[in-house]
Amino acid sequence: MNKKGIMLGVIVVTIIAGMTAFFLSSSSETVNLDMGRTHGTISTAMGSPILGDSSAQITIVEFGDYQCHQCYNWFHNTKPAISSNYIETGKANLVFVDLAFLGNDSPLAAQASYCAEDQEMYWKYHDLLYASQESNIDGGWANSERLKAFAFSLGLNMELFESCLDSEKYSKRVQYNIQQARENGIRGTPGFFIVGPDGQQKVSGAQPFSVFKQILDPMV
Amino acid sequence: MIHTIKLVFSNFKYVALASVIFASMVIGLLILSEYIFLDPYIISHLPSGSELGFVLIVILSALSALVIPMNIFRIYILKSSKQKMGGGIFGSIIGAAAGACSCGPVGFAIISTFGSVGATATAFLTNYETPIRIIAIGILVVTYFTTVKSLKIECKINP
Repeated sequence: MNKKGIMLGVIVVTIIAGMTAFFLSSSSETVNLDMGRTHGTISTAMGSPILGDSSAQITIVEFGDYQCHQCYNWFHNTKPAISSNYIETGKANLVFVDLAFLGNDSPLAAQASYCAEDQEMYWKYHDLLYASQESNIDGGWANSERLKAFAFSLGLNMELFESCLDSEKYSKRVQYNIQQARENGIRGTPGFFIVGPDGQQKVSGAQPFSVFKQILDPMV
Repeated sequence: MIHTIKLVFSNFKYVALASVIFASMVIGLLILSEYIFLDPYIISHLPSGSELGFVLIVILSALSALVIPMNIFRIYILKSSKQKMGGGIFGSIIGAAAGACSCGPVGFAIISTFGSVGATATAFLTNYETPIRIIAIGILVVTYFTTVKSLKIECKINP
């Protein structure tokens, strides 16, 4: 009976440990600490953490603005298919670089995403911003108070987040990203570079999945 | 009303002009509003939720193609005042500007050039894109009826 009890206990502990390890590994996000990171001609050093397998041969670099309606369209209509077909399968990864130009709240929202990154929640915060986008630019949906409310809803440490956002800690990081967009000839959002082993291809606008598939498949 | 349209468009030059105006406006606005992409290859895309914008562009282009040639007809054939051309051109321009200034290259260029003033103007045109287009369509409809009325009187058309 004792042996059976010990065996049962070991099995239960093993299962719990395994499940804990699985959930921790699947929910945690990496923080972008590579200050020399480049993809093709683009310095993504100040961009988002990499979404997907960092060793994937293809990187999709997205230049976007959280207040841009076309970015919203791409996020909802095209990105899900790219995620399931290329990112989740390890064929490609994605980096988001801010081209925050549409209004006063755009750079603020971009800074807030990096404050979330400090707590390893960049992509959840990024997704929440695009899920919560409202139609009016600078209409208040991405002002400082709302950005803090989004952080609260994700369970972030509010003392750290508010201190980060109020101090504009990542203002220069966002400006650097905007400069990268200009230097690489991005003239609107969303804009993309698909960087593969043999070069890079620019895609402008919220184009459908078929366009990305046609570029990505020969690179895989 | 039909007689007036027949009178203007019985001349092939005005049919050709209307076709050019419609084609250039509809294609230009669909490209600027990202319903058509030219690069890396030509493709059209109508994302869910943007159907109204597409319909408004088609209506705006069709009305512009109808009203502008009718006004030109009145000016050149009947030697009417050029000031009466204003409604058609004005409606077409504000309707076109509403959708052009958004996340795309036009909006980016305006904001880059004019700074915060450009950003405010772009935000206004983007936020009120649909109402502005509807107002532009309203202006074109009013211009159409005033033009028809004017042509009936000036050409002495008896339906």
